[in-house]
Amino acid sequence: MKSYLCVIAAALCVLPRAAADVVPVYTNYLRQYQTPTGVVWASNDTVAATGTQQSSLAINPGGARFDLWTIKASPYTEYLLDTKYVSTYTPAATVVITSEDPYALEDPDHPSAHPLIPRTRADRPFYVKVTVAGLSVDPAYPPASKSVNLCRYVQSYGVGGTGIGIDRTQATLLSQAAIATTVPQTLTYALTSVPGADRTKVRGEERFSVFTLLDATTTPSTPASQLASQYIQIWPVADGAVTGITQGQVIRNAMPQLTLTLHDLYPYSTTYAQVYKGSPQLGTAGAVVPGSNLVVSDTVPANSVLLVSNYDAVLPTDGVWTIEILTTTPFGTDRLAYLSFTLDRTIEMNGSFTTIE
Amino acid sequence: MKTLNLMNLPRWIGSIGVAVMTATGAAEPPAMRDAATHQQLVEGMRQAKQNDPMKNLPLSKVADPLVANPRRSLLAESDVISFGGLATLIPKRAILQIPKNFSQRLKLEDGVRLVNWLEFYATNRGWITTVEISREQAEGTVALPVETRKMMSKCRNLVVATYLAGPISLLPAKEPPAKEPNTKPSTPAL
Repeated sequence: MKSYLCVIAAALCVLPRAAADVVPVYTNYLRQYQTPTGVVWASNDTVAATGTQQSSLAINPGGARFDLWTIKASPYTEYLLDTKYVSTYTPAATVVITSEDPYALEDPDHPSAHPLIPRTRADRPFYVKVTVAGLSVDPAYPPASKSVNLCRYVQSYGVGGTGIGIDRTQATLLSQAAIATTVPQTLTYALTSVPGADRTKVRGEERFSVFTLLDATTTPSTPASQLASQYIQIWPVADGAVTGITQGQVIRNAMPQLTLTLHDLYPYSTTYAQVYKGSPQLGTAGAVVPGSNLVVSDTVPANSVLLVSNYDAVLPTDGVWTIEILTTTPFGTDRLAYLSFTLDRTIEMNGSFTTIE
Repeated sequence: MKTLNLMNLPRWIGSIGVAVMTATGAAEPPAMRDAATHQQLVEGMRQAKQNDPMKNLPLSKVADPLVANPRRSLLAESDVISFGGLATLIPKRAILQIPKNFSQRLKLEDGVRLVNWLEFYATNRGWITTVEISREQAEGTVALPVETRKMMSKCRNLVVATYLAGPISLLPAKEPPAKEPNTKPSTPAL
């Protein structure tokens, strides 16, 4: 009889953020599904947020799928955190997705007990590394031991969606490939293929999963089972607008109140307005408009409306000025909006006088 | 195939990350660009499709594995046992016997604290009895011994099948193949 080391890695901190004033309570469950018999076993042990332990229920002669669940109380909401299939001769696989956002990267010297979901933006690339091990070369072994199936799925969250509660079995299979080598495969994607009419506003996820092949040598046959899977979240490109001043406006008095309307700010970003003297010139460093700075450090994009007033101090002289909205993210600094205006606060007195003898 | 040196990626990204949070003033002129437009991304997506790295791998034509792996639900695939403000989830078919007076304890109501089986059973041993079974018995290939069935028939407790103290589903016994057409089938075991 063969036992199998079951690795538990509960990614509890990647769960949707609850209201700030309520501390959510989660209970973890680990289930072992024997294949092809269908016997289900619940380990007697407490499932901690992280740790490893050996399963006491042998998986021979078929295989077993391990599902790691957590259930949030009030109301009861279940999350399938991870699932892995193991058997005597099926290969093992790993999928690692990275992006330019270091959010989910782990320090190799201090690995996190709570791995985070990788994320990127609709206009940025991401990278997928797939590694397969344990492929058999024995001709007597079934095809399921010699090759695996790599699948790429995409799924949109919809307008304003965050992915909470989506049915991931409804994802669209975009492409699939067979991997029959243990040489690691690194796939580079310049842009996401998450569906959406406005490509700047797509939000959703791309999932890469490695499955076994259907094994018809067992009775009953063992369906394709997941060996490894990871997804990356795709968030939209931010946009913004300045109102309160119009393009080319001449301002002769105090500066008017500005309204900065900001949409889809990246979950880790700093957004602000700056002014500089002269016409719009991309890359020009200016003075930050007081009260316009907004820092976002979250798991989902943010929208905001900022009212800015009393900022005359950053406009000391008359002339043509430009105001820009900039957002700085792990991908660099993007200009979201800009306009120029003329400041003319010098009072010119025109007069004449005459004398009478 | 185009590859990326991922080993250098964290360092490179880290430098960007530092720049992110310090670029709020006018001290350092940031390298900036206008936010990407829809048209730019449409063109980029067209090129990305042409360069799909999956095309460099052998084509697979098997059926979508997700179809064979429908959405799962732990709550739907479990039986609930609840009492005294606690509740636990165990695999379906693990409950072998439910006395009528305990049928109301198989519901999950709001406000009840979910715990694992170990904690729940520790405080509810008075009305729950476990029957330790083998893997073969769980698979239905070996029937439960007569003694166990006798014990259950007399037991007034809720009876749960366990394997190494963890709840396990007990599949229906598989009937042995008939050897002769006139052979009377044996009574199905529990």
